[in-house]
Amino acid sequence: MAEKKEVIRKPGVAFPWEGKLKELGEIKGDAELIKKIWEDVDALAYVYIWHCLLSF
Amino acid sequence: MAKDMEQVYQARLGRYVTAMRNEKPDMVPIRPFVAEFTAKYAGYTCQEVTHDYEKAFIAARKCAADFDWDAVVSNMVYVWTGLTEAIGTKYYGVPGIGVPADRGFQYLEPAEEKAFMKPEEYDELIADPTGFLFNVWLPRTSKYLSKIGKPVTFKNNLSFLKGGMAMLSYFNAFGKQNELLRKESGTVSAISGIFKAPLDIIADKLRGYLGLLTDLHERPKKVMAACEALMPHLEWVALSAADKNVPIGYWMHRGCVPFVNMEHFNNFYWPTVKPIIESIWSKGYQVLFYAEGNWDAHLQSFAELPDGCIVYHCDKGDIFRIHKEIGHKFCISGGIPNFMLGYGTPDEVRARCKKVIEGVAGDGGYIMDASAIIQNDATVENMRAMTEATRQYGVY
Repeated sequence: MAEKKEVIRKPGVAFPWEGKLKELGEIKGDAELIKKIWEDVDALAYVYIWHCLLSF
Repeated sequence: MAKDMEQVYQARLGRYVTAMRNEKPDMVPIRPFVAEFTAKYAGYTCQEVTHDYEKAFIAARKCAADFDWDAVVSNMVYVWTGLTEAIGTKYYGVPGIGVPADRGFQYLEPAEEKAFMKPEEYDELIADPTGFLFNVWLPRTSKYLSKIGKPVTFKNNLSFLKGGMAMLSYFNAFGKQNELLRKESGTVSAISGIFKAPLDIIADKLRGYLGLLTDLHERPKKVMAACEALMPHLEWVALSAADKNVPIGYWMHRGCVPFVNMEHFNNFYWPTVKPIIESIWSKGYQVLFYAEGNWDAHLQSFAELPDGCIVYHCDKGDIFRIHKEIGHKFCISGGIPNFMLGYGTPDEVRARCKKVIEGVAGDGGYIMDASAIIQNDATVENMRAMTEATRQYGVY
C-alpha cells in the first residue's frame, strides 16, 4: 500500500509562510496574526490551482 | 422558510442519508444526476447553462421543483465555461464556440506527443506537485499564460485575476443555490466536495491516457511516485468542501480493466486510492464512487473498504452482481440505462425501475438514478416514468 509522503509544499500551501517571513524581516506586532492571514489567503491560491486540475 | 417545505426537506434528507448508510428508509430515495437534461426541461440551450451558471442554477431548481426528487446536484453542468474561457483553458469544446449550442461541453485530450506533461518531467511533479501545476502545467493548458521566465503579458495577468475572481464567485454561489433548493422545493444537495484518483488525474490532465499507458510500462516507478505525491493533495481538496451528511463525489474514469490491466489496477490505482478513502472515512465522511463505465472486475477490491464508507454508483456494470458482491457492505445507486431514458419508452423505463428495485432495493441501501449523468437526450416522459415508478414500487 502506498505511503503518505511528506512534501516540500504541503497541501493547502502555495507560497509557504516561511518564505514570506524571510521577506518581512523584523515583525513589530502580532506575528501570529500576520501568519494566520497570510496562510488563509494563500490557501485560496492553492484551491485555485488544484480545482483547475480537478474540477475544470 | 415555509414550515411544510422544511418538513419535506428533512424527510428527504433522512431518506437519502438512511439509504446511504445502507439502511432501509421509508421509500427508495430518488437522486438523479441531471445535467443538460435540466436545460432541455427549462427551455435553455446547452450553451446557456454551460456558459451562464445562473441559468444552470435556475434550470436545476426548476427540475427539482417539478419532479418528486429527493436530492440533486446543485449544478451537474459543473464546468462553467465562462470561467474556463477567462483562464484560457485549451482542453474544452465549448457549446456555442467549438461545439454546437445544443450539445454538452467536451474534453479534448491532446495527442500523446503534445501532452501537458512530458515524460521526463515526472521528477519535477513528484518533488513539488503544486509548484509543477503553477509553473509548468497551467501555462501549458492556458492560451493566455506566459511560461515561467518569459515576459509577463496583459493576458497573463488577466487570466489569474479573472480566473481567481470568477472561481470564487462561482463557488460562493453554490451556498445560495443549495439554500434555494431547500427553501423552494425541499430538495437536498446530493454531494459536496470532489475527489479523483491519482492515476486518473495523470491520464486525464497530465500525460494523457496513451501517455500514461506508455509510462506504466516504461517508467512504472515514476508513475507510482507521482501517484504517491498527488495523494495528500487530493485528500486535502476532497475534505476542503466536504459535508458529513452527503458524500464526496469521486469521479472514476479510466483506471479500470480494460483501460488498464488488472496488475496495473492492483499495483497502482487501488493502492493509491484505498488509503485516502479510509482516511476520509476515519474523519467521518462518506465517498460516492461514481463508477463511470464498468468496474465490475474490481468489486472485491472495493469490498476491502470498511462497511458503509462509500456509496457505489453503477453505470455500465451489472447492478445485480454488484448488489450480490458488495450490497451487504455499501449502498448502491443507479442502474437505469441512459440509452433507455433517451430512446426507450416510458413502459420500458417503468419495467426496468421495477426490476432494479425488486432485485437490489429489498433491504434498503439503494438510491434510484440513471446509469450516468443525464444529458439532453433523455426525454421528459421517461424521466417522469422513472420518478413515478420509483414511488410506485419503491415504498417499504
